[in-house]
Amino acid sequence: MSILIVTEIQKGAIREASYELVAFAQKMGVEYASLVIGSGIDGLASEFGGKGGGKTFVADDASLENYNVDGYSAAIQAAVAASGASMVLISNTPSGWDVAPRVAAALDAGFVSDVFDYQDGNFVRRVFNGKLDAQVSSSGSATVVSVQPGAIAAFEGTTDGSTETVSVDTSGARARFVEIKLADAKGVDLSKAEVIVSGGRGVGDPEKFAEVIQPLADALGGAMGASRPVVDAGWLPHEYQVGSSGQVVTPKLYIACGISGAIQHLVGMKGSNFIVAINKDADAPIFEFAQLGVVGDLFEVVPALTAAIAAAKG
Amino acid sequence: MKILVCLKQVPHQDARLDVNGDGTWIKEDGIKFEINSYDTYALEEALRIKDAGEAEVVVASIGPDRVTQALRTALGMGADRAVHVNDAACQGSDALGIAKTLAAIAKEESPDLILMGLMSDDGNASAVPPMVAELVGMPSATAVVATERSEGNIRVERELEGGAVEVVDVPTPCLLAVQSGLNQVRYASLKGIMAAKKKPLDVKTAADLGVADAVGTAGAKVKIEKIYQPLRGEGAEILSGSTDEIVSSLMNKIKELGLL
Ligand SMILES: Cc1cc2nc3c(=O)[nH]c(=O)nc-3n(C[C@H](O)[C@H](O)[C@H](O)COP(=O)(O)OP(=O)(O)OC[C@H]3O[C@@H](n4cnc5c(N)ncnc54)[C@H](O)[C@@H]3O)c2cc1C
Ligand SMILES: Nc1ncnc2c1ncn2[C@@H]1O[C@H](COP(=O)(O)O)[C@@H](O)[C@H]1O
Repeated sequence: MSILIVTEIQKGAIREASYELVAFAQKMGVEYASLVIGSGIDGLASEFGGKGGGKTFVADDASLENYNVDGYSAAIQAAVAASGASMVLISNTPSGWDVAPRVAAALDAGFVSDVFDYQDGNFVRRVFNGKLDAQVSSSGSATVVSVQPGAIAAFEGTTDGSTETVSVDTSGARARFVEIKLADAKGVDLSKAEVIVSGGRGVGDPEKFAEVIQPLADALGGAMGASRPVVDAGWLPHEYQVGSSGQVVTPKLYIACGISGAIQHLVGMKGSNFIVAINKDADAPIFEFAQLGVVGDLFEVVPALTAAIAAAKG
Repeated sequence: MKILVCLKQVPHQDARLDVNGDGTWIKEDGIKFEINSYDTYALEEALRIKDAGEAEVVVASIGPDRVTQALRTALGMGADRAVHVNDAACQGSDALGIAKTLAAIAKEESPDLILMGLMSDDGNASAVPPMVAELVGMPSATAVVATERSEGNIRVERELEGGAVEVVDVPTPCLLAVQSGLNQVRYASLKGIMAAKKKPLDVKTAADLGVADAVGTAGAKVKIEKIYQPLRGEGAEILSGSTDEIVSSLMNKIKELGLL
């Protein structure tokens, strides 16, 4: 068996997650080669080859300058053929999850997504939004595996690298890249708050944010945040959302109320200096990442804490 | 115009999850099920297109008897017709087996648009939609947070990290896997639920669709060997006692952090 590592370019550089794939392949103990996709990327490809990538295939075409699913799928399939790899490793990023299953179906390969570890010959991944773990095996002539960014420390050494061009026919591409729109300037900039009190789906309805969550944030002189379902339901605007598709925050104190702790929320707040979680489910994954936990009803604990702070302030 | 919506029935988000006897899935008996949250946004998108003009909305799902409930709910919300692949042979299918089955339905129906959810709330795979697109030869886009239709094209916004989006033109017929929050999902009205009882619900097997070899544990390349409570590592120090005691511990911590 051999592996093809599919790298990703972000803001003109190979992103950190690609170096994590190198570490993952090395952990599996399997021979690997790499692939860099883009336009005018010879320099990036030889740099990556020397910094962990080893033999690095280069799919270089003007039509590959921006991510597009058909072109990238063609590039990966061409590199699989050129390298003879029977396993593709790709990061579970917005482009990774878009293209990887297409490649798997095209190769009639098994697909294992969003893995964070490799143990005893199995891939380890979270299921049920972080509530359970699963060990997963794959058989058959080929497998595509996507790896959770940030799950494994990136490879930092050097390797003997070389590059080889793969030619890709992108003429069949259908979906067309138009532009990237960056996030709007934030009215609520959570990145500067010293204290953030966040509410999740467990808060139940929009009024409760005003009645229960905001007062605790105010009492602590901090800001209010939220998990995604709160924003999806329209209870609060997107600028309150903490997580992979919202803001990444690092306050001194983060209080998570009625938030289960799905990975996409965790990546937005796990860098906080101190995390308190209040959740009525003792098995909620958030307790793994918090320093202090309260297993209980947020509607009892939060107002009582708000009152105690008010009393302490006099 | 015909729209195919593929939806999965999954354990309710607040269901208690206990690992089953052989440690490969959860105990399903006695828990509540619901339509996968992401798929409700896909269905709503289809119904909005129908409300805005002419469209037939067909919903399809693979799963056991209980799935009838999910399909009836979808019909109650306004879908026109349902296809239920109810076949014990499908149990244990991997994503590719599910995708081949849904692709076979798509080939029979030849829809102008296929809508699915970005991810299932149980398996969390984000695998099936692009696979179906590949198998039926359609262009696709995932994590769709906005759509704008014009003749022969749907301009979509795909969600990237940190609130950025990527604008992509996807020619129709195409498959879109939608992200949560795309729209505000309607409820089934009482009138809708009554009308749903008379709407067609076809039941099929994997053999009917010509995919018997691809499904079930036998057809699966990817298998769950073991499912378990995550090893929680150090974890949080859990405060116990009365609410007053808990609050005073929290106050001490807040003072210690210099925040009071
Ligand atoms: C590509 C992608 C990007 C995403 N981006 C983000 C993101 O940026 N941010 C984000 O947050 N999510 C994001 N998500 C969604 C994420 O997967 C989860 O669905 C979400 O974080 C769950 O939010 P929650 O914890 O509020 O809800 P749930 O998981 O439903 O948890 C609610 C919790 O409230 C508890 N609870 C209920 N009532 C009470 C009570 N009275 N007292 C105490 N506790 C109570 C329950 O025990 C439960 O644990 C993303 C998902 C995907 C696929
Ligand atoms: N058993 C199923 N029946 C119908 N649609 C499904 C099924 N499994 C997955 N899907 C569709 O594929 C999407 C992604 O699921 P998954 O790849 O399992 O994370 C779901 O949101 C559904 O739209």
